[in-house]
Amino acid sequence: MPGFDFSNHARNAALHAQGFPLPKATSTGTTIVGCIFDGGVVIAADTRATSGPIVADKNCEKLHYISPQIWCAGAGTAADTEFTTALISSQLELHALSTGRNPRVVTCMTMLKQHLFQHQGHIGAYLVVAGVDPTGVGLFTVHAHGSTDKLPYVTMGSGSLAAMSVFETQWKSNIDREGAIKLAADAIQAGIFNDLGSGSNVDVCVITKEKTTLMRNYIRPNERERKQRSYVFKRGTTAVLREKVVERVDIGKYVTVHEVPLEAEGEKMEVDA
Amino acid sequence: MSLTIIPSTSTTHPRTTPTPPKTAPSAPGLHDTLRSGLPSLSSTINTSHPLEARLKHWTETQEAAKMESLRRLYGLAEPVRRGMEMRIVREGEGLGALGGVRVGGAGSSVHEDILRGRDQGCTWEEVFKGDELADVDFHTEMEARLKMNW
Repeated sequence: MPGFDFSNHARNAALHAQGFPLPKATSTGTTIVGCIFDGGVVIAADTRATSGPIVADKNCEKLHYISPQIWCAGAGTAADTEFTTALISSQLELHALSTGRNPRVVTCMTMLKQHLFQHQGHIGAYLVVAGVDPTGVGLFTVHAHGSTDKLPYVTMGSGSLAAMSVFETQWKSNIDREGAIKLAADAIQAGIFNDLGSGSNVDVCVITKEKTTLMRNYIRPNERERKQRSYVFKRGTTAVLREKVVERVDIGKYVTVHEVPLEAEGEKMEVDA
Repeated sequence: MSLTIIPSTSTTHPRTTPTPPKTAPSAPGLHDTLRSGLPSLSSTINTSHPLEARLKHWTETQEAAKMESLRRLYGLAEPVRRGMEMRIVREGEGLGALGGVRVGGAGSSVHEDILRGRDQGCTWEEVFKGDELADVDFHTEMEARLKMNW
């Protein structure tokens, strides 16, 4: 059976009936925004990936490619946003090849909402779809249960309230490209600093009729400071309790030994200076 | 006949025959307690995830709604004609290893996809089949077709 596997459901229901507690729901955190300007649309995202209270990745990518002129920002379960956008991206490409036309943003949005509605929110993908097609500029939000919104500026994720406050106070109609990029970046920074689930850097993607510009790490407000002191221990700090030398010929009896060249400068493991 | 486009919830869905629980992949023929729990008929009938029935009956519900709306628009002849076309195509492609066109793995054919309007898409069912281990050879297929596998 492809797709979802329900084979553990009977076992889980039986365990729950015997008083075994259900697994806790994981809360996810992200700030993603989108804003329409004259002749295009800009979407932006923070770059923190969390796994419960732990920051899993300080510089992850939340802006997903759908087609050259349609991009998607994803909040919610990282794997679900990644996989859903990849799936719709390939379907949209096949659709574009079949019809011989540029894909439309509404087509992408409809495919996403039908796919998500079919799975009743069990796919935790909360998306901001943005793009430019022959019919004009499109900006939509798609929730995990399949509902959609069409607005001139949108925010999603746990930092959406902080980001929306920036839009609500500073947004103007007929905003230009530079103004929209700044507004979106400011909204993401509001999420980065005021929402615990969001953090690190600002990614921005600007889509116009002519071209798409992905600006990875457009603003890096959280550069790591150098430590004031060095915490590297001197050689010999730890006392040697016992020492045993194993000759290479002895190991060679059991395993094959290869000479490995010294690792390149860039591949060194990161340690605190 | 109704025009509902989503399957009704599993409680009201009529169950015809309970599917037997899957056997353990490592020991075929043995009941897989780890996956299916202790073997009992009531658990196979009564326990199912609400999403399971929905996904299982998704395509056929939408197909039924489409045929019903065609019937209301053009009369009974239209869905009957389409059903006949679908049946002709199915009987032609069921040959499998003995010939016939089969693109996209078992359970899908180009002709049927074209009739259903799915020929330009690619869903994850076509990529992740989940039955890579269940290799059906020529003899098993012949036995199944000639109803020799009692």
